[in-house]
Amino acid sequence: MSSNPSLVESINPSNGPVLDMRARLGEVDDSMRKPAMLFLVSAVFWLLAGTLLAMVAAIKATNQDFLGDSEWMTFGRIHAAHLNTMIYGWGNNIIFAVAPWIMARLCKARIRHTNILMLAGIFWNVALTIGILGIFKGDMIGVEYLEMPQYVAPIMLITYALVGVWVVIAFRFRQSEHVYVSQWYILAAFFWLPWLYSVAQIMLVFEPATGVVQSLTNWWYQHNLMGLWLTPIALGTAYYLIPKVLGRPIHSYYLSVVGFWSLAMFFAFAGIHSLIGGPVPAWVISIGVVSSVMLLIPIVVTAINLHLTVVGAHNEGWASPTMRFVVFGAINFTAVGVIGAMMSLRHVSETTHFTHFTVGHAHHALYAFFSMIMFGAVYYMMPRLLLKEWRNPFLIKAHWYMSGMGGILMVVALMVGGWVQGMQMNALDADGAPVYDFLQIVENTKPFLWARSMGGLMIMVGHFAFAMNVFWMIFSPVEVDKVTEPTLLTSTPDKA
Amino acid sequence: MEWNHYILIGILSASVFFVAGAWALHWAWKTGQLSNMEQGACSIFDEDEPQGEITDRFPVRRKRRNFRGNPTVE
Repeated sequence: MSSNPSLVESINPSNGPVLDMRARLGEVDDSMRKPAMLFLVSAVFWLLAGTLLAMVAAIKATNQDFLGDSEWMTFGRIHAAHLNTMIYGWGNNIIFAVAPWIMARLCKARIRHTNILMLAGIFWNVALTIGILGIFKGDMIGVEYLEMPQYVAPIMLITYALVGVWVVIAFRFRQSEHVYVSQWYILAAFFWLPWLYSVAQIMLVFEPATGVVQSLTNWWYQHNLMGLWLTPIALGTAYYLIPKVLGRPIHSYYLSVVGFWSLAMFFAFAGIHSLIGGPVPAWVISIGVVSSVMLLIPIVVTAINLHLTVVGAHNEGWASPTMRFVVFGAINFTAVGVIGAMMSLRHVSETTHFTHFTVGHAHHALYAFFSMIMFGAVYYMMPRLLLKEWRNPFLIKAHWYMSGMGGILMVVALMVGGWVQGMQMNALDADGAPVYDFLQIVENTKPFLWARSMGGLMIMVGHFAFAMNVFWMIFSPVEVDKVTEPTLLTSTPDKA
Repeated sequence: MEWNHYILIGILSASVFFVAGAWALHWAWKTGQLSNMEQGACSIFDEDEPQGEITDRFPVRRKRRNFRGNPTVE
């Protein structure tokens, strides 16, 4: 077979996997440049849009009249648009940029059919734009995380399929013997997402289940979108970048494999714990609680592994933009996992459920863990794709401090505020009557919501610093700046 | 759809999940992916980005020469 086979030849199962010579990393990076940059630039645009929507939603939580004259700007639509923009706009685009790039590097093969990824990128962003406009227009579906109108779902599913097929082809024609743990995480995630999305679309949108089954399916999808899509991609990225940047293998490779399989085994049921107190059979809830607590196995295993890999190399880690973001994300993975397991316990859930604590937990997972690791990946990936150095170290530091401190402020404010809110909602006097009036409790949460808005403002500053550096780098001259000390190029001059 | 159709979808999708997982585990076992872990951990390093070499750090600000010709930081 030729070194440039057709798509039909690539997906034909009868063709043998050994086709190409082992490729140098520079060649792999070169072949991934266009699709990865298409997704990356799209992700940055959606990140900025989602951040602005988040700020509007946060201000509306304390000032209801803010932009309240148009139905397009009501809280329900703004909140749903923010959510979908961040998850499917920022989250999925950045995954489609980073995960195939890592997969391609680990496969060490010349990359074929990148036009599939380009096509997927165009389809994905067109569908997303239509979907977000549909939410603003009022075509929203009342299912959290699936608010986009059902007419965009088929296009999105096709896009998932295109990217998934590309990942499978890349994996199939790999030139490396060993399947590294990051490849396990990425492959699994690209299998799990279409599975989750198609089942959720059938059971919640096209033929909606009624009653308890609808809630169960919704929470199953919502939780697994985090646990079986965003989490494995972020962990796969961390398992690739931390040893790569430090130049030392992972502390215990055996534990990383245990972590992967235990995540695969326990996460699928964990979301059910969110229905504690609902009209759901007790045994169903118990499965959710047990699975959530069992998730401590992959969490502890991953924490031990990632953190012990960094021990003794803190100075090197601090000197690397990638490591700052990835280690920050890894620390928060441990924290969010332990807090999540605690939240699944019935007595804890009695307080945290239906409060801002849950919102804080979601931001902890999606931002402080997932997004920070993805930022780290961008800082490592872009210089290698474009063969240029980051233009301004100050902007990188501004991004890290603003996103890190803003994210922590937001999460702490929401969690503390949510806990106080839950305690006040459950407080009863000697006669069994509520101690606090509901509106009084809402008023009492306002200081925490203002603190959340402050955190959001800091995050927004960080995101603009990030975007500025990204576009500055893209539009800067092509040649490698010999005067700077490059992030990457000193060790591999022959790649350029 | 009737409720039993939802159960059918649930059982089918769960079966796909578990069968795929079991098959992947079997494949990993059969092809030796779960043995020789030490070597597997080092598989991400190669001649371009070798083990023992730090591959990322903050860029250093460009140096320019001032009007006296001495190097200065921008």
